[in-house]
Amino acid sequence: MSGVTLSNVIKKYGETQVIHGIDLEIDNGEFCVFVGPSGCGKSTLMRMVAGLEETTSGKINIGPRDVTRRDPSQRGVAMVFQTYALYPHMTVAENMGFGLKMNGHPKSEIKEKVAEAARILKLEPLLDRKPKALSGGQRQRVAIGRTIVRGPEVFLFDEPLSNLDAELRVDMRVEIASLHKQIGATMIYVTHDQVEAMTLADKIVVLRDGRIEQVGKPLELYRDPDNRFVAGFIGSPAMNFLKGQVAQGALKIDALPETPALDVRLPADGTKVELGIRPEHLRIDPEGQGFRLDLIEKLGGISYAYLHAGTGERLIVATDGESELTDDMDVGISFDPARAFLFDTGTGLRLR
Amino acid sequence: MPQHQGARLVLSQGQAAAILLLPFLTIYAVFLVYPFFKGVWISLHDWNLMAVAFNPDAKAYVGLSNYERVMWGSNITWGAWASPAFQFIGLAGAVASAWLYRTGRAGKVTALAMGGAALLLFVLPGFHPGEGGRWYDRRFWPTVGNTILFVGLAVPGVTITAMLLAAALDGETRAKAVLRTLFFLSQVLSVTVVTLIWQIMFSPRQGLIANLTQLFGGSPIVWLTAEGFAMASIVIATIWWSLGIAMILFLAGIQDISKDLYEAGALDNATGAKAFWYITLPNLKRTITLVVVLQIILHFQVFGQSHLMTNGGPNDTTQVLVRYIYQTAFRDSELGRASAMAVFLFVIMGGFSILQFVLGREKDQ
Repeated sequence: MSGVTLSNVIKKYGETQVIHGIDLEIDNGEFCVFVGPSGCGKSTLMRMVAGLEETTSGKINIGPRDVTRRDPSQRGVAMVFQTYALYPHMTVAENMGFGLKMNGHPKSEIKEKVAEAARILKLEPLLDRKPKALSGGQRQRVAIGRTIVRGPEVFLFDEPLSNLDAELRVDMRVEIASLHKQIGATMIYVTHDQVEAMTLADKIVVLRDGRIEQVGKPLELYRDPDNRFVAGFIGSPAMNFLKGQVAQGALKIDALPETPALDVRLPADGTKVELGIRPEHLRIDPEGQGFRLDLIEKLGGISYAYLHAGTGERLIVATDGESELTDDMDVGISFDPARAFLFDTGTGLRLR
Repeated sequence: MPQHQGARLVLSQGQAAAILLLPFLTIYAVFLVYPFFKGVWISLHDWNLMAVAFNPDAKAYVGLSNYERVMWGSNITWGAWASPAFQFIGLAGAVASAWLYRTGRAGKVTALAMGGAALLLFVLPGFHPGEGGRWYDRRFWPTVGNTILFVGLAVPGVTITAMLLAAALDGETRAKAVLRTLFFLSQVLSVTVVTLIWQIMFSPRQGLIANLTQLFGGSPIVWLTAEGFAMASIVIATIWWSLGIAMILFLAGIQDISKDLYEAGALDNATGAKAFWYITLPNLKRTITLVVVLQIILHFQVFGQSHLMTNGGPNDTTQVLVRYIYQTAFRDSELGRASAMAVFLFVIMGGFSILQFVLGREKDQ
């Protein structure tokens, strides 16, 4: 098994450039998640690693080998597709063994490896069925089984859970995580769901418009986002933002009566900024003023309060599930300034 | 149902359906059902076209003797090796369907239908005149044989060519779109034009094929009048003519196959010919069945190619069933016997239609 290295990888469709010079190092055995909104190029980037999309320029290495111009089957990768892409005319066992059969492995070896993968994924009772006779979750497992049988250096997952219902998605997420622990191979996983990214990844790559916004461990991205985009994308519910500016060397946030004491080097006067604070780091002061509580959603363990400020800006606050708050109250907010972030509105970059 | 003011005719759903269907049913009854039964009725009579035209009473009920005169002979016996080629294929087909059923590759109904057809192919050609016997009509069974040979060559020819063309022309480039249209174009020509084109193509003097053979130093083949080549030439013309529809059906079938499967195949090292064999072909199974059965039904009715290109010759080797029916009825005026043959043809084609129905209905397990 080996890691994956992308060096200045570029993809163009005719004149349109969709991937803008990506440099990325994925270590051996690492679970790397590409995450970003739709159209950010995450699937394209993974398909380039797979060889299903041609790389316009740059270099892709798997382990020590340069695979940029190799055929997909020569790269030592196996992929789980969003639609599963199981061969409908083959049984589960035939589906799982097809790659080995095409590469001329002997029947006995194929049988052994299929049995082994079926054991790992608990697919043994289904081996003689056709995909049509399987449920969504079972098909997903067969698709994963097919990649295990191939024994690739790198596993690729292209939004594998998005066709499953919510409950099954959680189950499969756990299964994929434990599978990674069990076989310890390098895995690249594409999703637009930041919860999947946070729960599965060793390393998250946040992409936007074909560029990497930030790379890091899940909690690093959560605690220390480099820019407003990553701050807003990672975390659920998303971070709240309040507009403000720097005037006479001091920070002023429009919606807040008092300026929070942030430990940042302020930019020049007149710079527009945004204060970012996560819902779970905000507290509601029922005696306070300045915000209107529109609605409170009580989920039991936790409640989400939907507020709007005098400026019209909207905020979400995560509060105690037993909270006594009610709709249509006037409230104030407080937070620990150390947990707030400041971003330059123009560049979107974090001010530190 | 709300009552409206004034006298309004309120129809039930069934009545409305009946009224809407009436025009079709009328035409269907007058032009299809009635002539069909009339044909069956004629086949039970000694019916001379000319005589009955002048005197409607000049026909006589003869029961099944037209069928006997066409299909039977004196001193007919049955042997397992009377017609080894057909009977071997039939036997092999029966064994194959049993095997397919036992290994679970074919469903019960499919296996029964295919096995039954194969058994018929084993049994029927086994009948032959014994010592001193002869067929009452010496031309009928050879004509049936020619028709089956024609179908047996044209159907795989059309199916395989159309499938390969469809696989090659599937795609979005302009060249492929143009070629698709070109290959489909021959379909819209009438049989007269098609046979004319191919008569010129096959002409040993100025034909394109003769020119090509001469270019490579061969002597031109007299395609249409040489016994070994006449059938081949009408088959070639037929393949060229009826390629279009089959190609369109295959294109539709190919476009139905998810692109993801080919990408999964690319990762599994199945590209090009391997992808065609392991991914495209199995997923076209239903389309292949449809195309084959439609072509069988269509080509059993072959007439124009044989009539216009070879006149059934040389030495009756391209005489086909519909042409024989036509000649018996309108040249020899033997309408009763011709109708008996037409009923025979109907039974064959009806059989294949039922086969198509059965194979189309059976779901994959």
